[in-house]
Amino acid sequence: MRAQPEPAGAALSDGPPGPLTPLLQLSGINTFYGPVHILEDVNLVVGKGELVCLLGGNACGKSTTLKTALGLVAPRTGTVTFDGVDVTSRPTSERVRRGMAVVPENRRLFAPMTVLENLQIGAWVRGAPDPADLDRVFELFPLLEQRSAQIAGTLSGGEQQMVAMGRALMSRPSLMLMDEPSMGLSPRLVEQSFELIETLHRDGVSMLIVEQNANMALSIADRGYVLQTGRIVLRGSAQELSNHDELRRAYLGR
Amino acid sequence: MELFVQQLVNGLTLGGVYALIALGYTLIYGVLQLLNFAHGEVYMVGAFTGFFVMVGLGGPGKPIVPVWLMIVAMFLAAMVVSGLLGVGIERFAYRPLRESTRIAPLISALGVSLFLQNAVLLLFGSRVRSYDTPRYWSGAGPQVAGVQVNPVRILVLVLAIILMVGLTRLVEKTAFGRGMRAVAYDRDAAVMMGIDVNKVIVLVFFVASALAGAAGVMVGLVFFNVNNYMGFLAGLKGFTAAVVGGIGSIPGAMLGGLLIGLIESFTTAYVSANFASVLSFLVLILVMLLKPRGLLGTRAIVKV
Amino acid sequence: MAEESLAIGTDEWVAAHEGRTSGQVQGPVARTFGRLPWWVWGSIAVLVAVVLPLIGSTYLMRVGVNLGLFLMLALGLNLVVGYAGLLDIGYVAFYGLGAYGFAMLASDKFGVHLPTVVAVPVVVAAVSIFGLVLGLAARRLLGDYLAIVTLFFGQMFVEFALSGDAITVPGRAEQVDLTGGTNGITDVDRFSFLGVEFSSDRWYYYLLVVLVVLLALAVRRLDGSRIGRAWKAVGQDPLAAEAMTMPVNRLKIMAFVVGAGIAGLAGTVFAAVQRGVFPSSFDLPLLILLYAAVILGGSGSLKGALIGAALLSLLPEALREPSYSEMVFVLLLVAGLALAVRSWRDRIIVVVATVVFGFVMNLLFTLLHVQGVPASAWTSGPVSTLLGHWLFVPQDRVLWGNLGFVGLVVLLAVLTLVGTRVRPILLPAIVWLSIFVWFVRLADVPSITRQLLIGALLIVLMIVRPQGLFGRRQVEVL
Ligand SMILES: Nc1ncnc2c1ncn2[C@@H]1O[C@H](COP(=O)(O)OP(=O)(O)OP(=O)(O)O)[C@@H](O)[C@H]1O
Ligand SMILES: [Mg+2]
Repeated sequence: MRAQPEPAGAALSDGPPGPLTPLLQLSGINTFYGPVHILEDVNLVVGKGELVCLLGGNACGKSTTLKTALGLVAPRTGTVTFDGVDVTSRPTSERVRRGMAVVPENRRLFAPMTVLENLQIGAWVRGAPDPADLDRVFELFPLLEQRSAQIAGTLSGGEQQMVAMGRALMSRPSLMLMDEPSMGLSPRLVEQSFELIETLHRDGVSMLIVEQNANMALSIADRGYVLQTGRIVLRGSAQELSNHDELRRAYLGR
Repeated sequence: MELFVQQLVNGLTLGGVYALIALGYTLIYGVLQLLNFAHGEVYMVGAFTGFFVMVGLGGPGKPIVPVWLMIVAMFLAAMVVSGLLGVGIERFAYRPLRESTRIAPLISALGVSLFLQNAVLLLFGSRVRSYDTPRYWSGAGPQVAGVQVNPVRILVLVLAIILMVGLTRLVEKTAFGRGMRAVAYDRDAAVMMGIDVNKVIVLVFFVASALAGAAGVMVGLVFFNVNNYMGFLAGLKGFTAAVVGGIGSIPGAMLGGLLIGLIESFTTAYVSANFASVLSFLVLILVMLLKPRGLLGTRAIVKV
Repeated sequence: MAEESLAIGTDEWVAAHEGRTSGQVQGPVARTFGRLPWWVWGSIAVLVAVVLPLIGSTYLMRVGVNLGLFLMLALGLNLVVGYAGLLDIGYVAFYGLGAYGFAMLASDKFGVHLPTVVAVPVVVAAVSIFGLVLGLAARRLLGDYLAIVTLFFGQMFVEFALSGDAITVPGRAEQVDLTGGTNGITDVDRFSFLGVEFSSDRWYYYLLVVLVVLLALAVRRLDGSRIGRAWKAVGQDPLAAEAMTMPVNRLKIMAFVVGAGIAGLAGTVFAAVQRGVFPSSFDLPLLILLYAAVILGGSGSLKGALIGAALLSLLPEALREPSYSEMVFVLLLVAGLALAVRSWRDRIIVVVATVVFGFVMNLLFTLLHVQGVPASAWTSGPVSTLLGHWLFVPQDRVLWGNLGFVGLVVLLAVLTLVGTRVRPILLPAIVWLSIFVWFVRLADVPSITRQLLIGALLIVLMIVRPQGLFGRRQVEVL
């Protein structure tokens, strides 16, 4: 992709469609690791009920964007607003309590603990775990019910992905942040997990998905952003992005 | 045979105390990978707290409350005071160093140790204080294999077992225990799940330190004398127990504690009191050479 | 270390490592210090050291000898901790071994009187071998393992020294006395070389000056040498060093052994100058003081170790004399205040508020009918005379002093928790309370005070400036 980076990002169409209220909003975010400037003036919105994908090459700052949204790293300037509240200086625990949940890169299960315990930890912010939440997760992932006593570290990659998603769902999030949910999965499983994401989305969970697999992501997303070395260089509806020439050449291989 | 039974009981009591101290090291190491060298001082403060509660309630001479109530009060107060002290130490001496080098909290812990030892010396002087347990509790104990066993030791042993079982349940069955294990395994992932890591760490320090406080009162009840230097050696023994058992492992700490306690008591009885500590040291070296992760440990001591 | 055992490529890596770290920020103290070349400072120090005995009293010589020993130990520990990054908590035991070793080989204890030229090398070699064995026992010497083993080793040494007077040997009726227990070993021989006996402290003082200068020069040379750089590299990033196929373990064990040898040598001098050895000389307080010195100066820095050791070795001397200790206290207070409050306006406000606060407290004590004594009755010195009219001194100084101490610790803790807005409100109370506690309680118990200060210093230093006054910010020490 050779598009000249423009601070605000070249808009193919303007922001989220009218009636949507923003759920997550990053405005003017600049994030540093030590002296290294990682995110430069990132502006990004996820509307209520939207499925937004964030595309970009390796090391361009996608994970950092999610971490900034979740409060794992603090931006030097800029604000993070969630559900109408400025959470920029609020700790991660509070953001999760307000409805964010994450399926982290590489899943990050608590390997020595059982599947059930992993799920229960997902419900940490809800205090006493609600059996209904667990039932819902088991309904989505029937396999997990059978495996609930198994040590999470011994699960296969695909099963681990299910636990990671189930764990995030246990806090009944209004927004799920997913970092490369397809990583390390066979094409068949990728398809499955994207179906699941769509299901969840239809149930009303908003999503911000980071993906290398741009085809797949754009096929289910409402809108997308393209990040390049820390700047948003493109944004628009999924439709527009899939038809964008340069993007096609760079990521979609068509 | 009589000597053997006597030493067995002594060893188990001592082992129970060491195990409680070792559990504190293990809990804190498990969660923070931090060797809390100040843990012995927390135990010492627990012993002092128990002593002053006893004096406040009229002991050892004329307790103004039933003796059992006095002992309960001593344990509770010691556990609370030690627990809070541990929390304070974490807050002021360790938390600011969490992102620092590995050596920094160790040095800071040495500083805390020195400070507490001398603060207690400043406040309470170097006079030896005695729990003088026989003056308010002198019942005949049960007979075990024809040997009269001191009831105080039985109490201490039972209490240590209760605390250990309670701790195990806390860690394995409760939400806090799950959170604690999650933080121990992968702190960043725990944060992502919305776990307030600081809160978990504070609780871990409270629990670990409260156990040390209880151990302090136990030692006071069994061996009577408390002074401001008692923490160092006991801390070292508890620490050895934790490492021998496998640091980070809860059953390991218990096993290590019992082992060190038994070794000490049998060496004292059959060889020489001089060699008790030396032998525990040799056991430590041996275990570290043959089984670097400790008897029941699963994790290496340093995360690299 | 055999040069040829260094693998190819290692040198480039060491050099690169040096490059990565040396360009980093130095502390403000280091910058001021660095204006003059090192040898100017060094010569001045040596000159002062050489001239001092001409004007000095016996007391001063004693202080000088202690300082020399402390400098030697600090230099040795600095090699182990600062260069190789090994947390050796049993370091003082090597000092003790050296001292006891010499005492056993040159005293009436066993009737052995080896000449100094034989005894000292034998002891130093033996102590080094001890270091080697211990280092090998903690095989990989990785991080916390070494801390554990050495901590225990140090404690075992003290315990052995304490109870080594009644060792039961199987097959022998009477117990064997090796160490003299709490009484230690006395009547140790003086050093004597070529028939010249070191009959007074002055001799040992000059010997130590020579030893310290030689050691310092050796460390300086080491700084620029291959092995010195390799040590530093290993200390800062053992994994990377290992990846570059440096013989990490060998380098570390060697640093450990050299450190032990230096401590052993210092121990022999100690035994000879004291003419006796006692277990309590080699206990934890000395160790912590040494660590404080090395870390205060900045571990891994030669001048840091020297200056840190000098400061911490002389400070206790200053605390011993009431009028000096007052001065030290006032200096500390002023420096603390100057650091805590940044603008001159606020500083003046705090000082005025403190004065007012003092009068209010004075009034309060009077209203509560607390028994007091006139301030001039219990201490001398110009400062306290001035303060006499302002500072209430209760009759029961222990009780009130202790209460004040607890209050002070709590207030200082609170100070770190509250925001910058509230701090100025707390400061006057803290300043007054420190003065109160100092004069009412702490000044009476200098040894406890010293330990409290060192303990607090270690914590604060770790938080504020873990690399010490002269250190560079390091990648990672362990
Ligand atoms: N904790 C950290 N400290 C220093 N640098 C970091 C840290 N985390 C990430 N970086 C750097 O920040 C840059 C962006 O990292 P980030 O993880 O956001 O990339 P990404 O877009 O998610 O890449 P990928 O697709 O490979 O996951 C990278 O160059 C990375 O090396
Ligand atoms: Mg990433």
